[in-house]
Amino acid sequence: MIRDSLKYIGYFVLLIVLQVFVLNNVQYSGYINPMIYLLFILILPFEIKGLFLLVVAFLTGLTVDLFMNTLGMHTSATVVMAFTRPYVISFLSRRTDLDFKGKVIMGVTGVQWYVKYTIILVFVHHIFLFYFELFSFNHFFLTLLRVLLSTFFSSIVILTAQYFTVKKK
Amino acid sequence: MNTLLRFIQKYQFLLFFLLLEGISIWLLASNNYYQRSKVSSVTRAFHGFTSEKIAKGTQYFKLRQINEQLAGENLELRRQLAKNSAATLKYEFSQASENADMDFEFVGARIINNSVNKQNNFLTINAGKNKGIELEMGVVTNTGVVGIVSGVSEHYATVISLLNVDFRISAKLERTGYFGSLYWDGNNYKQAILSEIPQHVSIMKGDTIVTSGFSSIFPSDIPLGTVESFDKKAGNFYTIRFNLINDFKQLDYVWIVTNLHKDERETLENPSVND
Repeated sequence: MIRDSLKYIGYFVLLIVLQVFVLNNVQYSGYINPMIYLLFILILPFEIKGLFLLVVAFLTGLTVDLFMNTLGMHTSATVVMAFTRPYVISFLSRRTDLDFKGKVIMGVTGVQWYVKYTIILVFVHHIFLFYFELFSFNHFFLTLLRVLLSTFFSSIVILTAQYFTVKKK
Repeated sequence: MNTLLRFIQKYQFLLFFLLLEGISIWLLASNNYYQRSKVSSVTRAFHGFTSEKIAKGTQYFKLRQINEQLAGENLELRRQLAKNSAATLKYEFSQASENADMDFEFVGARIINNSVNKQNNFLTINAGKNKGIELEMGVVTNTGVVGIVSGVSEHYATVISLLNVDFRISAKLERTGYFGSLYWDGNNYKQAILSEIPQHVSIMKGDTIVTSGFSSIFPSDIPLGTVESFDKKAGNFYTIRFNLINDFKQLDYVWIVTNLHKDERETLENPSVND
């Protein structure tokens, strides 16, 4: 249990560092800024309690916000994402999948399941992130384009990272 | 209390989500300049909207005051206008009645009652004995004759309008100098008749008709109108129909003409009256 917690803290630190020091410096033409730290919310174990999930998401978003000087923006989007996570999981899972346990990773769920899972949650996160950033529905379609592009790239980055983590194990 | 707790327990996930999301948005709105300005622009728009509505509502209660203020302003402007047109008119009349050696003086007044749709039209003006108005004084504007004073009280006077079938004055054609008798035939308030012009006189459409100055009531050469048509039905004389310059429906300020030497002239012209 303590070992698991330490492992998650390790993931947390690693992903935040990757996000802040590497990916935040990659911004193609202002539209694309992949969010790898979302992987931390994605891999939290199936059994995690709802309230605890929300708190973790809140703290994660807050940390990213502190580094990016956008207090509240990532926090709100990440909390929304964490809120939808249980519903997405139960939406994607068939009856036979209900005995999933431990980390939510590709090795447990299968590639197809995981790809859907990632894209849906990242999309939810990005919708809120970008519209909170704009704080209005002016330029609705331009913002939607940014959401879609960023969702695509974030998902690719997250799935690639996930793939290598699985390999390492 | 129990149901409340059960409700909270049942929806704890949703409620906690709303709590955290609320905190995040509060952080977002209070710490980022752009979002804060967005929020405050929304609240400002709301504030502006409500205060505008309130102002519109309270304006109704001020309408009376505003009306009074505007009426006062109008009065003041009219006063100034009257002063100005008095100056202009005096100048024009002094030019026109040069030959009369400034025999006339003018008193300004406003028309307070008027009609144009009867056969015997009268006007009422707001000047009477208090301003030296007497019977049989002429009433003019700078664009023509209005009528003759027919009754005077302390503060008001009635005026026989030019648009009265009993009204007659002497007028002349400015170009040729031939004079005739001017009257109104009771048809059109924009036209009057000049009769008794001899047939040999050349008349053209557009000729100007002015007062003759033969009576002691009006100064000479006040413009009255322009010839519209003429025919010789009435024997040896032309009957000229002409357009009045004055629009009697729009008259407002008028001038009452005082002949300073009226008595002297009448005594001279009618010595038998004094005998």
